[in-house]
Amino acid sequence: MTWLPYAVAAWLFAAGLYGLASSRNLIHLVGCLSVCQSATYVLLLGLGYRWGSIAPIFYDHPPGTPAVDPVMQALVLTDIVVGATLTALLLVLTVQIFKRSGTLDPEHLRPIRRRGAK
Amino acid sequence: MSPRLRLTLLGAALAGLLPGAVAVIGRLPEFGATIAAYGERINAIVPAERHVANMVSAINFDLRGLDTLGEEFMLLAAITGTVVLLRGRRGEETTDRAMRLPGRAILPRSEAVVLTCRLVGPLLMLFGLYIVVHATVTPGGGFQGGVILASGTLLAYLGEGYAGWRDVVRSHWLDAMEGGGAFLFVLCGLAPMLTGAAFMQNVLPLGTFRDLYSGGLMLIENAGVALAVCGGFTQLFLEFLEETRESAGPEESGEDSA
Amino acid sequence: MSVLIPLLFLITAVSGTAIVLIRDPSRQIFAIAANGIVLTILFTALQAPDVALSELAVGGAAVPLLFLVALMAVRAGTADQESGGDGR
Repeated sequence: MTWLPYAVAAWLFAAGLYGLASSRNLIHLVGCLSVCQSATYVLLLGLGYRWGSIAPIFYDHPPGTPAVDPVMQALVLTDIVVGATLTALLLVLTVQIFKRSGTLDPEHLRPIRRRGAK
Repeated sequence: MSPRLRLTLLGAALAGLLPGAVAVIGRLPEFGATIAAYGERINAIVPAERHVANMVSAINFDLRGLDTLGEEFMLLAAITGTVVLLRGRRGEETTDRAMRLPGRAILPRSEAVVLTCRLVGPLLMLFGLYIVVHATVTPGGGFQGGVILASGTLLAYLGEGYAGWRDVVRSHWLDAMEGGGAFLFVLCGLAPMLTGAAFMQNVLPLGTFRDLYSGGLMLIENAGVALAVCGGFTQLFLEFLEETRESAGPEESGEDSA
Repeated sequence: MSVLIPLLFLITAVSGTAIVLIRDPSRQIFAIAANGIVLTILFTALQAPDVALSELAVGGAAVPLLFLVALMAVRAGTADQESGGDGR
């Protein structure tokens, strides 16, 4: 029970890595990368949680009420938004690869790249 | 490398890492028992020091504002890269006209969809603005509000069609919002130095705790982030949607496109 | 509360695994959106409303849309190659 959040984070990261290694479609691969990313969110927020604490917003509760760790939340918050733009960049690269080589399968990419290099 | 060999390698690597992961998880603080001392101190000190109710905004825009500046430029760089990649193929001249694939069927929208979008769209924009403005008081801030505002413009796409959406959303404005937001953030860092204070030191009056005006300089930084995120995400949507319809000439009428 | 949070962690593990195991990208988009919603609920339960708001907007709306449009762009390109620019 006390180790469950960390185990879930490790599991998500491993599942994402498995997806990255076994994917046959570059768009699917970007999706698997987002699973690895969500593992970090689960780990950070799991580390910052404390039973019986309020959210770190002292509007309804007076300052001094035990609250969860705001630093982890700030880290995750910015990463979610910036990570989405990086996902967009990866997707555009994927579409460009498709336009140039006509395939989305990473297995078929190597010979085309070799031919284009000469 | 064959797929089977690759998966075997990955399995071996994961199996090798497993004992280390188990050891680390065993040493981590018990879930829900305690939090880091840094966060604890922030919760104790910052409400009185900065007159801000939302600790997450206080960290993003004041205590670790320099980190957020870095994040802001990562955002800017990622979006610039995306736009350069997409426009590089298309050429810059066509970005202000709606394009359409010639063979694609034009589907009429039902009146219910149009009505719902016209009703909900402005409400969603208003909600986004609320989230942005109340950054230092209640949950929310420039990052979340910016994304909500950007998704609000998509309802115009759903309700008015692509050409109508392109009439409302102008690419130059988005570029200006995105760059201007980042510039505003940098300015917030540099302006205090004119008065002899440190970079990004909170020199404005701090306002009242739990009031809409609280946090001083944080509010301006928050507005800069909101501008950059909203402009950037709308720009992403626009350039992505343009990508699906590049192989045709410009569309003349702004009325009946799907 | 003490049952809810572990349950939500387990659901997160399942929905994240589903993204990896669903191989067809057009179906995977639904898994990504569902994972965004599950993460939103988990973050709310972990007392992180700020993070939940941004995950809701990004993971539930923006990222699935970007995937969808990327898929559409690829399909439009495929149709071009197969039938000489005749849409789909």
